[in-house]
This record gives sequence, C-alpha cells and structure tokens, in this order.
Amino acid sequence: MAATSTTEFHSVDNLIGFGRRIAALIPGLLLLAAVGYAGKFIEQSIATYTKARHIPFPNIEYVLRAIVLGLIIANTVGILRIFEAGVGTYEFWLKAGIVLLGSRFLLGDVLHLGGISLLLVAFAITLSLTFMHVLGRAFKLKPKLTSLLAVGSSICGVSAIIAAKPAINADDEDASYAIAAILALGAISLFTFPLIGHSLHLSDKAYGLWAGLAVDNTAEATAAGALYSDAAGKVAVLAKTTRNALIGFIVLGYALYWSSRGQAKTVSNKAAFLWSKFPKFVLGFLLISLLATLGFFTKPQLVSLANLSRWAFLLTFAGVGLRTSFRELGKQGWRPFAVGAIGEVFIALLTLALVYGADRYL
Amino acid sequence: MSNAVRPSRLAFSLDAYAVALALVLALLVRLNLLPPIKW
Repeated sequence: MAATSTTEFHSVDNLIGFGRRIAALIPGLLLLAAVGYAGKFIEQSIATYTKARHIPFPNIEYVLRAIVLGLIIANTVGILRIFEAGVGTYEFWLKAGIVLLGSRFLLGDVLHLGGISLLLVAFAITLSLTFMHVLGRAFKLKPKLTSLLAVGSSICGVSAIIAAKPAINADDEDASYAIAAILALGAISLFTFPLIGHSLHLSDKAYGLWAGLAVDNTAEATAAGALYSDAAGKVAVLAKTTRNALIGFIVLGYALYWSSRGQAKTVSNKAAFLWSKFPKFVLGFLLISLLATLGFFTKPQLVSLANLSRWAFLLTFAGVGLRTSFRELGKQGWRPFAVGAIGEVFIALLTLALVYGADRYL
Repeated sequence: MSNAVRPSRLAFSLDAYAVALALVLALLVRLNLLPPIKW
C-alpha cells in the first residue's frame, strides 16, 4: 500500500513537472509564432500593395523576413530568459515540418533524387573530411576540434557535432567553438547561396540539391532552399535529409578512431550505436511519402499537410534568426572560424561542380 | 562496460516526439478532424 502511494506520488510529481516544462515553452513559442507571422504578413502586405499600384518590386520571401526580424531582435534587445526555452524548440518544428513535407513527394521521386543525393553525399563527405583534417593540421587546431568541425561541415552541422561530442569524448569548449563556427557560416550561407544560385541561373532542382549538400545545418539548408523557390526548398530538404541519414556512420567511424587511440570510450554495440544516432524523422518522412504515394490522402488533404509543413517551417525560420547572436559568435576566436570558412568554400565549390555534373540526371 | 557509449535519450525524444506530432496531425487531416489548413 505504501509502495502504491509512493508510486502515485511520483506520478503526480512527474505530471506537475511535465506541465511546468510545457508552460515554460509557451512564451518562446509565442515569440516564434509572432516573428514568423510578422515575416509572412509583411511579405503579403508588400506584395498586395505593390501589385495594386503596379509598382515593380522584387518578391522577398517570408523566409528572409522572418530570419532578419529574428536576427534584429536577438542582436539588439536580446532574448529574455523567459523566451529561451520556447525559442529552442525551433528544431522540433523543423523535424515535424520535414516529416509532413513527405506528403509532397512521391516515393519514386524520393528514391530517385535521394539516390543521386546519396552518391553525391558519399563523394563530397570523403573529400571534405580529408580536406578539413588537412586544414585543421595547417591551422594547428586541436585534433578533436578538427574532428568536430569536419563532422559539422560535412554531415549536418550542429546535430552532428552534438552527436559526435560524447562519442569522441571532446571538450565542451571544442564543441562550442565548432558549433559557433558552423552557425556563423550557416548565417552567411543564407544570404550568399541564393545570390550565387540566381547569378548562375541554376534550375530549382540543381539549386535545391546544391543547398542540401553544401549548407551544414538542416534549418539553414531548408531556409536557403526556400529562399530560392518553393520547389528548390523541397529538393534541399530531401538532399539534406539524405545527408542526415548518414550521421550515424560518420560518428561511429570517429568514435572507433578515437577509442582505438585510447582517447574515447569504447563502442560496445555498433548496431545500437548506429540506431541511437540515426535521425528518426527520416523514417517519418519516408512513411508519409509512402502513404501519399499509395493514395492514402485526398488532394485537398495533401494541400493541408503541405500547408501544415509550411507553418512548422515558419516557426523554424523565426528560430534561426532569434538564436543567432553575432556577439556570441564573435567571442569564439578566428581560427576555428577560418578553418570552417575555408572548408565551407571548398565544400560549396565541390558540391556545385558535382551538381553541375549530375544536372542531366535530375 | 560502464565506459561504453550509450544512446542519448534526449536526442531520441526530440526526434520521436516530432515524428509522433506529425503523424498525429496527418491522421487528423486524413480523418477530416481538422479544418482545411490554409497558408
């Protein structure tokens, strides 16, 4: 009886704790929604105004407006502590949005484009990992910091660094340097990639593939794709998701390398390790795509799912701007940033060449 | 053995919750329990 009461007490306690954690997210979530919606509202208002008065005005996507609004808030008034937890959920919305985006792909397209992406990703990863290690040695970075930068820039940005950090037993300081460098470079790529894509007159598919292969963080890759066009955004997400699916293999490779040198923990069960690092949202994306291919949803329902995905991405893009603090990024020192930047330029050029080569098969 | 790398539960939760939310929303849309979502 006493044991039952204790269990009940713990259940109530857990429930209250869970309720408090959810309540703590609400202010930040409201901020994400307000910033994202403001971006969309400004875009629509300007488009309506200029169209009604026949004023030629370039259509700047809500994506850029939401990001810039977030950047302005984060780098002027800053993010109050009360908003931090909710703003941090932007990755959650990104993953939910990617799963829902599966409804806009037929499984055949996923396998076709995903297959091409996989080949290009494998090629690009091999070359970029090698290049990053050569650079890291030339700039005399600590070997584990180089490993983190290499994983971050060749696979999937911050998630890959967070996944690799415990596996290779890297310092907190190294991880924060690598994350800061990847975030700073991601912010730069948001503004440079669409400009380069337009100046090279890349097709939506080619540009989307390039953004998905070259931009590190999933949120920034999705935003960089969506900034070019809706179709490019779709392809960018698919290519980036393919890249994300390989995260476990690369992190496992590094874990085995550093443990063989006695500088990281041993990996007891490789299959469990791979599963733990595998991004589960990839499976959700494939499942929704399969259901859409099998005709599980009607056409209006597919439109609703695609729009739900857009709303989820709206919160993500607001979060990308709100969590980027130039002051914090500037504190991290120039060498990790320089290695990351040179590596990024190399990866961007390499993947651009690969995409040009693969364009006829897209 | 205690030195072995263990899976991160937190990372799993975020992914799993995001997938679960998306699937629930897809099911609600399929069953017409949500109004048409506009953009």
